[in-house]
This record gives sequence, structure tokens and C-alpha cells, in this order.
Amino acid sequence: MQRLGDDRLVAYLDGELETAQRREVEAWLDADPAARQQLAALAESTHLLRLAYDAVVHEPVPDRLIAAARGETAAAQAAAQILPFQRRAGARAMVSPRWWITLPVAASLFGLLVGGGAAYLGIGKLMPDNGAVKQPAIEAAAANNAWLDNAAGYFKLFVSAGDNPSVDAPATGDPRDALQKISQSLPQEVRLPDLKVWGFSFRSAKLVVAEGRPAAELVYTTDNKAIGPLTLIIGSSKLPDISPTFDRRQDVNLLYWRHQGRGYALVGQADIGYLWGIAKDVAWQLDAI
Amino acid sequence: MSVSHGLAGSPVRLVSDGNPVSIRFGDQLIAVLPRLRRFARGLSGSAADADDLVQAACERALARQHQFQEGTRFDSWMFRIVQTIWIDQIRSREVRKEDGDIAEERLGSDEPVRRVEARLALAEVRRAVGYLPPDQRTALLLVTVEGLSYQEAAEVVQVPIGTIMSRLARARMALQAQLEAGRGVDRSKTDAEAR
Repeated sequence: MQRLGDDRLVAYLDGELETAQRREVEAWLDADPAARQQLAALAESTHLLRLAYDAVVHEPVPDRLIAAARGETAAAQAAAQILPFQRRAGARAMVSPRWWITLPVAASLFGLLVGGGAAYLGIGKLMPDNGAVKQPAIEAAAANNAWLDNAAGYFKLFVSAGDNPSVDAPATGDPRDALQKISQSLPQEVRLPDLKVWGFSFRSAKLVVAEGRPAAELVYTTDNKAIGPLTLIIGSSKLPDISPTFDRRQDVNLLYWRHQGRGYALVGQADIGYLWGIAKDVAWQLDAI
Repeated sequence: MSVSHGLAGSPVRLVSDGNPVSIRFGDQLIAVLPRLRRFARGLSGSAADADDLVQAACERALARQHQFQEGTRFDSWMFRIVQTIWIDQIRSREVRKEDGDIAEERLGSDEPVRRVEARLALAEVRRAVGYLPPDQRTALLLVTVEGLSYQEAAEVVQVPIGTIMSRLARARMALQAQLEAGRGVDRSKTDAEAR
């Protein structure tokens, strides 16, 4: 597979490619682990960049700027004096069509910083750590691939089941009961990340198998068909810790990481930048980074 | 100052000597101020310079409100004004980087360590943005931070869309390299301390 340019990868991340170009990039990503790593690093720096300037829009606007906007400063009045007044029709809405991506990210940042958490925001932890993430041993890589194959497969099973997914809890019951029930079959309790800020509601929990051991698959749904649904698999793992890492299985994006004996995989068809933000939020909520 | 109605029936505000400014225009301007401040902060790298830039942009917008084209994006028009003034400034004088914003990140000792780390990390990102050439910085902020499409960003800076695409790619790669380099320095410090 021919290596495509960085500009193509950046445009893919920004959602700026036509369908044919997007498929070309996805084929490249499927074939080239280095490209996937580069995409994940780009998504990470993009996420950081948005966070870095988010606080400014929450600051109170200085009075002098409001006065200037109203034409109440000396310079503005002087400018206004030389102008004929013209009637203005309303401008188009000032919200970018892509703010559905940016706003949840901003909301997440706000919540993290105001809440005093932001534990994961240390740059050394946030950026993909090429130095620390060593090439896994062949056995570990094989186990990892099987785990990701399963994660993607479980996700596809849920999607193909439509409105009648098989869940391990009565359909009429509280899905949290299913989580509680499943937790009893797992070596460690599973906590439920709240993803409402990302537009996802917890739908159900299932007992699945990962690395040959029982694991929990948490299913989240959303009304926004462009980003959902998604699943989060939490299981135990004997493999070494790794930072969040991007992978793909056909049209399914996966972000997986391991921390202190647990493996996590966030699985969905939302774009990688959006999933990246959710993965960081999940990791923070579960103390999993 | 009083509020009245102009000849066309649109509300106007009468400034001190009786010349009118459209209230609706002013309201639109006020509504977009937070984003203008964010964009200007990214360009200038300093809170004080950014607000000066936004104030100058407001004054220029009022002076040229008749040039705003109905049916086009008001925020893009304002981004263009901010960007133009900023380019004029950096052409006419050497902009000295101030570390005022970074000083703001140095918080009191009672703040939880992890939050301080987080804020320093974000300060590192802003510093890396400050190292980018002006054209790349502008493209990066418009698309990645302000959420404009490539086409909209191209219209703001008046270049072909392909130019925006290549500037963005260079900016993103450079930003990533800066952050990696910064992290390398941090790691070296940590290693040295450990020794």
C-alpha cells in the first residue's frame, strides 16, 4: 500500500475528504500500523490544542471590548461618524457545522478542570509515548490481536442485532442491574463511566470473553447515528500496561489500553478524534491511566 | 446615548454626536467576542495583546460594517479582520513574546499537583503554537480550534483550499514535533533527578 501524504491524514482526521479519498486513507490505515500510530498522535495533539484554548471562551469579556463592540469607545465613535448607516439583515448562525465535535470536547475539558480532576492531562501521559510503548513480543501481539478481533466482533454483533440485542439482563430492568450481576462474575468490580457529555446513554451490559477470561461489555447508544453506538470492554489482563492505542477492524475503530492488570477497549464507528476524547474521559473516570 | 429607529426602520444607537450604529450589528459583535478573543489569543500568544487586537478589530468592523455581505458568516468576517490587523502588526513591528500567560499557569502551592501539571501541559501546547509561522498558526487556529471548514478558512485568509490543507498539515506535524521535543526535555529532567 502506497504511503499517502501527511496532508491526507490530517484532512481525514478533520473529516474533509470525499468518500473515495476517505476509503483510500482507511485502506492505508488498515495496512500500515505506523500510519495508525501517526493518526492517533495527530488526534491526541488536536484534542490537546482544543483544550489549550478552551478556557478563553469561558472568561468574562472585558468591559472595554463590549464597549468597543457597541461603538462606545472614542475610536469606534470616530469610525462610526464617517459611515452611512445601512440596514443589515441577520447574519447566518455563527455556529460552525462542526461544533458538534468541538463542544463536547470543550465541555469535557471544562468539567475536568473545574472539577479539579484532569489527572490525565499531564503531557507525558497524554501524548502517545513512542519511547515507552515498546514493540510487544510476538505472543503478546497475537493475544492483543485476538482481543481486538473479539472486541470488534462483539461490537458488530450488537449493531447487527438492531433493536433486539441479546443482553444479560431483563429488557424491562434497569441496565445497571445487569452491570451489577456481571460484576459478580468478574475478578474486580466494574464501574460505569458516565458518557452523557459525549451524547451517549448507557444501554446494557453483557458478559463476554477477553484473553480467555470473563469481561464486561458496556453498550452505549445515542440518537446521533453519525457517532454511535459504541461499546466499552473491560477485562482483566496479564499483558504489560500500554497507553491508548488506535487500531481498526474494517469499518470499526478501536482504542485500547491496559493499566494495572486491566484491559480496556473502546469500540465504535465514530471518528477517531471523537473516540480519543471519550477514551481519555473513560480512563480518567475509571482511574485507568 | 439613546436608542431610536433609522430611516429604514432598523434600530440604531445614536452615538454622542448623533451618528448611528446598528444595534443588531453591535449585538452580533458582542456575541462573537469570546471566540474572537480565543482566536486572537492563539495568534498573539498574550492575553493583553489579544484583547488589544480584538478591540482594534471591533473598531475596524464598525467602521466597515457596510462592507459585510448579507448571507455570509459574520464570525468568518470578523476572523478575517482580526487576522488582517495581526498580520499588519507583525509586519510593522517585531512582536516580542511575553510570558504573561505562562506566568498565569504558575499557580499557588495549595493547588493539587495534578491540576498544575495539566495546566502546564496546556501552556506547553500554547507555547508550541507560538513557534509556528503566522500562516500555519492562523490555519491551525481557524480549523482546529474555531471549527471552520477548510473552505471557510480559505475564504478567511483568501488563499486556495489546497494551501490551507498544506499549511494545516505542516502546522500539525510541527506542533506534534514540538510537543514530542518538550516531552523529551521533561523526560531528561526526570531521569537526571532520578539519578
